[in-house]
Amino acid sequence: RQVSLIRQSLFDQGFLDEQFIQLEELGDDANPNFVEEVVSLYYRDSVRLIHNLEQALEKSPLDYNKLDEYMHQFKGSSSSIGAKKVKAECTQFKEFCMAEYREGCMRTFQQVKREYTTLKKKLEAYFQV
Amino acid sequence: MELKSDIEDTLTQQKQQKQEQQQEQHHFHVLAVDDSLIDRKLLEKLLKVSSCQVTCVESGDKALEYLGLLDGLECDATLSSSSFSSTQSSKQEGLRVNMIMTDYCMPGMSGYDLLKRVKGSSWKDVPVVLMSSENVPSRISMCLEEGAEEFLLKPLQLSDLEKLQPHLLKSIDHSCENNTKSNKDKNVDDDNNNCKSNNKLSKRKAMSPETPERRPKLKGLAVL
Repeated sequence: RQVSLIRQSLFDQGFLDEQFIQLEELGDDANPNFVEEVVSLYYRDSVRLIHNLEQALEKSPLDYNKLDEYMHQFKGSSSSIGAKKVKAECTQFKEFCMAEYREGCMRTFQQVKREYTTLKKKLEAYFQV
Repeated sequence: MELKSDIEDTLTQQKQQKQEQQQEQHHFHVLAVDDSLIDRKLLEKLLKVSSCQVTCVESGDKALEYLGLLDGLECDATLSSSSFSSTQSSKQEGLRVNMIMTDYCMPGMSGYDLLKRVKGSSWKDVPVVLMSSENVPSRISMCLEEGAEEFLLKPLQLSDLEKLQPHLLKSIDHSCENNTKSNKDKNVDDDNNNCKSNNKLSKRKAMSPETPERRPKLKGLAVL
C-alpha cells in the first residue's frame, strides 16, 4: 500500500529508472534483500568517490582527466543501481570536464551531491517501510 | 530489525553456498573482471541467477594472475592448443574458465588490453565478453576484431546475459529434469567443438530463433 505508493513516486518523479527494477528482480527467497545490499554498497562507494572529487576540485589548476575519471566511476555505479537523476548530473559534469569549464564543474558537482543526498534520503525512507 | 530472521537468512545462504560448492564441477565458470564494486556485485548476481559459477576480480592484472599469465608464468602460446581444447584448462591443476567477462574502461590494464593478452595465450579459445557504459561503435568494432565474443552495454540486465545463452546453456545439465538427457548430449558435443572457430558462426545463427523460446526456460532453470 504505502510502500508501493512511495516506490511508484520514486519512478514517476524520475529518481529511479528501470535498472532499479532489474535489481529488485534479482532478489529471491534465499537473497530477498539484494537491492538493499547493492544500494548499501553504492552509498559506501559514493562516499569514497565524492571525497575524491572534492579533493580533486580543490586543486589548482584542475586536473580534468582525473576529475573525469572519478566522475566516470560515480556515473557508472549510479547507473548500475538506476539512480536516474544522479546519473544525469554526472553526465553534465563530464561534459563540463571535457570543455574544461571550471565554473560548470563546480556548479554541477554541487548538483550531483544534492541529487545523491536526496536519493539516499528517499531510499532510506522507502526501505524502512 | 529482527535478529532471528537475520540468522535464518545466514543459515539459508550458507546452505546455498555449500550446495554451490558441491556443484562447482558442473557449472559454467565465468571470470568477471571489473574495477567497480557495484558492477562486480551485479554481474555476480546476474551470472549466479543464470546458474554460473563466478569468480570476480577487480583488475586486468588480477585476472592475468588468476589465469597464471603474469610474469611469464605460463608457457608461451606456441604450445599446441589441442591438448587444452576439450577441457579448456590451463597448467594450473583443474583450473577451468569457460568465459571471461571484462569491463572495458579500467585503471591500469583496460579490458581491451586484457582481451589481447588472453587471445595471445593458451587461454585464447576461451570466449571473452567486453562490457562498457559507453556506446562507441569504433571501440566495439575494435574489440570484436580482436576476438571478443560479444560487447555488452552497461548497465547490465538479465536480457543481456541471454545474448550469451549459447555458451551458458551448455552448463545447465542437471537443473532441468525434463530435458536432462538431451541437454547432456548437447553439452558433451559442444564442449568438444567449442574451440573451433566455425562453431562461433553457428552459435550466432542459433541465437535469434532460440532466444525468445529460451527466455522463460532460463528463469525456470535457475538454481536457487
